[in-house]
Amino acid sequence: MLFKLAWRNIWRNKRRSFIVFISVIVGVNAMLFMDGMSNGMLSQILFNEISLNVSHIQIHKNGFTDNKMVQNYIPDYENVEKIIITNKSIRYYSKRIVTFGLLSSAANSTGIYLNGIEPEKKQNVSRIKSSIIEGKYLSGNSGEIVIGKKLAEKLQVELGDKVVALANTSDGSIGSDVFRIVGIYKSPSSEFDKSYVYIPITNAQTMLNLQNKIHEFAIITNNYNSANIIRDKLRETLSGSYEVLSYEDLLPFVIIQLDMYKESLFVINLIISLALIFGIINSMLMSVFERIREIGVLMSIGMRNGKIFLMILIEAFTIGTAGTIIGVISGYLINIPFSTFGINLSVFAQSLESFAVGAILYPKLSVENFVMILLMIPLISILGALYPAYKAIKLEPVYAIRYI
Amino acid sequence: MEIIKTENLKKTYKDNGVPVNALRGINLIINKGEHVVIAGPSGSGKTTLLNLLGALDKPTEGRIFFKGEDFSLKTKKELSDFRLRNLGFVFQAYNLIPVLSATENIEFSLMLLGIPEKERRAKSLKLLEELEIADLAYKRPGEMSGGQQQRVAVARAIVNNPKLVLADEPTANLDSKTGALLLDLMDKMNVEKNITFIFSSHDQLVIERAKRLLLLKDGLINDQNN
Repeated sequence: MLFKLAWRNIWRNKRRSFIVFISVIVGVNAMLFMDGMSNGMLSQILFNEISLNVSHIQIHKNGFTDNKMVQNYIPDYENVEKIIITNKSIRYYSKRIVTFGLLSSAANSTGIYLNGIEPEKKQNVSRIKSSIIEGKYLSGNSGEIVIGKKLAEKLQVELGDKVVALANTSDGSIGSDVFRIVGIYKSPSSEFDKSYVYIPITNAQTMLNLQNKIHEFAIITNNYNSANIIRDKLRETLSGSYEVLSYEDLLPFVIIQLDMYKESLFVINLIISLALIFGIINSMLMSVFERIREIGVLMSIGMRNGKIFLMILIEAFTIGTAGTIIGVISGYLINIPFSTFGINLSVFAQSLESFAVGAILYPKLSVENFVMILLMIPLISILGALYPAYKAIKLEPVYAIRYI
Repeated sequence: MEIIKTENLKKTYKDNGVPVNALRGINLIINKGEHVVIAGPSGSGKTTLLNLLGALDKPTEGRIFFKGEDFSLKTKKELSDFRLRNLGFVFQAYNLIPVLSATENIEFSLMLLGIPEKERRAKSLKLLEELEIADLAYKRPGEMSGGQQQRVAVARAIVNNPKLVLADEPTANLDSKTGALLLDLMDKMNVEKNITFIFSSHDQLVIERAKRLLLLKDGLINDQNN
C-alpha cells in the first residue's frame, strides 16, 4: 500500500514529476555520453597502438627494451619459436628486426625506426597492410620499403622514389642500403607515420650484419584480455634470458590514462548526480509542502513517523529509479548508431592524429559505468529526499491537520 | 465503564506572543458507549479539548486518562500506536487521502495494523455495504459529494473497531439533510457497535441529538446533564 500511495503521490503534480523525471533521464544520458566518448577515445588509442605496432605480447632478449642496440638480438630464437607455435592461446606471431636509423632522400633526411618484417606474417599482427593508401604492401622482394605519409611529405618523396637507410650494424660499423618506395601508409597517428618504416626482414638482417638473428617476436593472442596471463605463462616457460612483455607493459602511459579515466568517471558522475539532487530536493519539498494537512491526517490516524519518512523516500526512489532505467535504455539505444558509424571529428583531425586517435570516433560504453549509474542515481534520489522527509515528520499533527 | 477522564486539564498557547488560556481546568469523565456533544461558541476551546482527548496535543497542565492509562506517560510513538488502535477521527473537512479510493482510505488504518490485504479489503467492503455506500468502493474522493466523503470518513474512523470516535464539526460542510443522514449513521454505530462518540459542534442539529451535552465557555465545562 505504501508503494501504491507513493506511486500515486508522484503523479499528483504530473508536470513537476515529469520535469524531475526528464532531468534524471537527461543526466543519465549525459553520463553515458561522456563515458562513451572518453572510453571510446582511450580504447581507440589503445587499439591503434596495439594494432599498428605493439601487438599483444612481445618477446626480446632480456634488457632489450631499455637498450635497443642491434647486438641485443634474441638468443636461440628457434627454441622460442617452437614454444610460441605450441601455445594454443597464441593466434599469430611474426619475427621482427627493430632498430633506430636514418632515412635519406634527395631532399632531406630524418631519424626513423627501421622495422624488418616477414610481410606475410606481419599482416596478421599489424594493420600496416590495410593502412596502405598508395602503392602496395611489401611482397618480400629485396629492396622494397613502405613508409608513412607524413614521412613521405617530410622527405619529399613519392611512390617509386629511392631512399637510403642507414643504421648501426652488429659489429659496430654503419650499414646502409638503397630502397624503392613501393607503398605509402597512413595510420591514425601522425607521429607513427613520421617514424616507422618497413623493409623485408632479410634486407634488414643483411644490412645490419645479423645473419638470421632477430630482435623481436610480436604476438597476437586469441583474447587480448588474457594477454597478461599468457605473458606470465611464457615467462615461466622461458628463462631469464628473455623479457616477455604484454601491451600493458609496453604502453604504460596509455594504461595509466585508462586507469585515471576510470577513477575520474566516478567523480564526473558524482558531479552530475549532485546537480540532479537539488532538483529532487526541491521537488520533494514542494510535494511535502502541498501535503502538510494530509500528512497531519495520516499521523492522527496512527501512521508512525518512520512510515511517513519511508513513504517520501519511496517516492523519490521511484522517480529516480524509473528515470535511471529509462535513461540507461535510451542512452544505450542512442549510442548504437554512434558506436556503429562513429562521430566525425575531422574538424579536429590534426590534433587527434597526434594522440593516435582517428578522425572518426567510436563511442564505447563501459559495463562499470552502467552499474555505477544504476546504483548511484537511485541512491542520490533517496539522499535528496532525506531533508524533505525530515521536514515531514517534524510536523505536529495538531497544526498540520488545520493547515490551509 | 469509564473510558476518558481528565483532571484539571489546562491548555495555554501563545497568540502573537500573548498567552491565551484556551482551557482553564477541565474535569471530565466519559463512559463507554456515550454519545457526547461538546458545544460552545466559536473560539471557546472545543477543538482544543478534542485534540487533547484525541492525543494529538499535550496539555499545559493536568492529566488525561484513557481506560486508566495516563497519556502524559506515553512517548510520541506510543501515542501514535494508541491512536491507531483505540481512536477514530472524523474531521470537518473530511480529510480523505485524495489519491486513494474509498476502500483504500477505509482500510488504511488496517494496513497500518498489519492486517493482510484480503482480510482488510473484505472488512472495508462489508462496512461500505453497512453504510449503504458500496457503490463508492472504487471511487476517489474527487468523484464524491461532500456527504459521501464524510460517510467514507466515518467508515475509516470505525473500521478498526475503536473505543472512541472524535468528530470535530462533522456536519459543518454539509447541508442539513445530508448532515442529518450522517448523524443517523453515527447514532447507529454508537448503538450497534457500542462505540463512544464525542462530537464538537455548534450545529444545532448535532446539539439536539446529544445524549449528553457539555457546554464549553471561557475555557470551562458546564455539563448540562448534571
